[in-house]
Amino acid sequence: MDIISIKHLSKSFGANNVINDLTFSVPEHSVFGFIGQNGAGKTTTMKMVLGLLKPTKGSITVCSEPVTYGQTKTNKYIGYLPDVPEFYGYMRPFEYLKLCGQITGLSNDKIKTKSEELLVLVGLDKANKKISGFSRGMKQRLGIAQALLNEPKLLICDEPTSALDPVGRKEILDILHQVKGKTTVLFSTHILSDVERICDNIAVLHGGKLVLSGTLSDVKSQHKRDGLLVEFATQVDKQQFLTTPKLASYIIGAEQTSTSITLHAQDIQKAEMAVIKALSEEQLLPIRVEVLEPTLESLFMEVVK
Amino acid sequence: MKSYIAFTKKEFCENFRTYKFFIMISVFLLLGMMNPITAKITPQLLKSFMPAGMNITVAEPTALDSWAQFFKNVPQMGLIVLVIIFSGIMANEFSRGTLINMLTKGLSRRVVILSKFTMAVIVWTLSYIVCFVVSYAYTAYFWSSYGIRNIGLSVFCLWLFGILLLAIIMLGGVLFKNSYGGLLFTGGLVVVLMLLNIVPVLQKYNPITLVSSNLALLTGNMLVSDFIVPIVICSIATIVLISSAIMLFNKKQI
Repeated sequence: MDIISIKHLSKSFGANNVINDLTFSVPEHSVFGFIGQNGAGKTTTMKMVLGLLKPTKGSITVCSEPVTYGQTKTNKYIGYLPDVPEFYGYMRPFEYLKLCGQITGLSNDKIKTKSEELLVLVGLDKANKKISGFSRGMKQRLGIAQALLNEPKLLICDEPTSALDPVGRKEILDILHQVKGKTTVLFSTHILSDVERICDNIAVLHGGKLVLSGTLSDVKSQHKRDGLLVEFATQVDKQQFLTTPKLASYIIGAEQTSTSITLHAQDIQKAEMAVIKALSEEQLLPIRVEVLEPTLESLFMEVVK
Repeated sequence: MKSYIAFTKKEFCENFRTYKFFIMISVFLLLGMMNPITAKITPQLLKSFMPAGMNITVAEPTALDSWAQFFKNVPQMGLIVLVIIFSGIMANEFSRGTLINMLTKGLSRRVVILSKFTMAVIVWTLSYIVCFVVSYAYTAYFWSSYGIRNIGLSVFCLWLFGILLLAIIMLGGVLFKNSYGGLLFTGGLVVVLMLLNIVPVLQKYNPITLVSSNLALLTGNMLVSDFIVPIVICSIATIVLISSAIMLFNKKQI
């Protein structure tokens, strides 16, 4: 079942077209990475899913119920973590969670047990000071706690890791990974290593359109492997390899480092064959020959070109 | 209903912890003491400033002078403080984005407006009561209240106008995302009401009567019946303003 389904969604601010006929869906129990450059329209899309912005065209359903602009019932299924979560600075974390719980209509006992559990999960159980004194990472973690308070079916995180140091990022990703079993996670980011670490589905947004989507492994396998790395022990060997006449057509446009060379070709098997043949004729012994897997980064660069 | 109580509690917590409540109470307590005391010492002050040999006859102050101070100071200083304190009531939430968490938790937008209005009305009422009680006590201590009429209604009218101002602030806060916009909107509307008061035909409908003619009501120059229409109009305006604030807020992109 799809937890979110977006059909032909468009949004423009004045003459500025931010989202342009966007259609995709998020399957249940997945970690969905929503990738795009700054200003690609990730936050705008998320805010439309939350009913905070009015779509110019198109429809959105969450858990098979339509999202309506303004007051939307579908928000009861959703926990949302804004990119820079803001809290009432004069409150303490527990008080804030209590307020959130009362607003969603949880019972007082439930609020108490759930808040304690979540504050332990995000590592804020010892931080009983006012939120105004919190660091950015602490606010982000409290943001996750408040988003998970009503046990949402869908957790939407807007760039949860962008402003954090490596330790903070790892902590947030670990938390997202932990909640994966219970809830579907949709998170936007432009940090590709984060996506590779925890996502199983991805969608790349560029110029208001979806340019790439699917499961991470599908997306990678669909895209042709076009790189062949050949590494030598010495620079002399590399030079000799470069001057091999039979390889001239491949060497044009190749990337080089001091002892290695990466060739690009349409048919990578044919290229590999030619390289091995040339190596044997020249009696050159490489220390490594490798067909390069496409990285998410190279895919991303390719689709946003 | 549960979310209304929870959010109203949060509003009170905010008012206590950001000291707004204490500022309001202190200002109005001070005003309450100033009114009778100013009335009492003005003649002495005047005398002491007179050059030697000059004589001026100043009438002995009465309870009416004290109430004259009350109905001058509270509309001028008191209401201005009220408007400034509550001008950021919506803007602070918009500019910091604190409402997003609440709204995406399913908090109804109507509740946001009603909770904030409730809190502002209660804080205003409490401060006003403090001011009135202190003024009343001093005045009764210094002078006899002979000849003072309709003090209850007069005080009520001023209170009601304060509520109208709060409703205007709420609408202004929804219309403009920053507190200066809200302030300008409130100030602008009050100026419009004052300008309308120049037209004699409109005077008997104008809610500004509720704060400009209180003394006439005390002395009996104006009748209770003269105030009925402005009171009704003021109440209707308050309801209309709050309803429009809710409707606009429902349509607002956040």
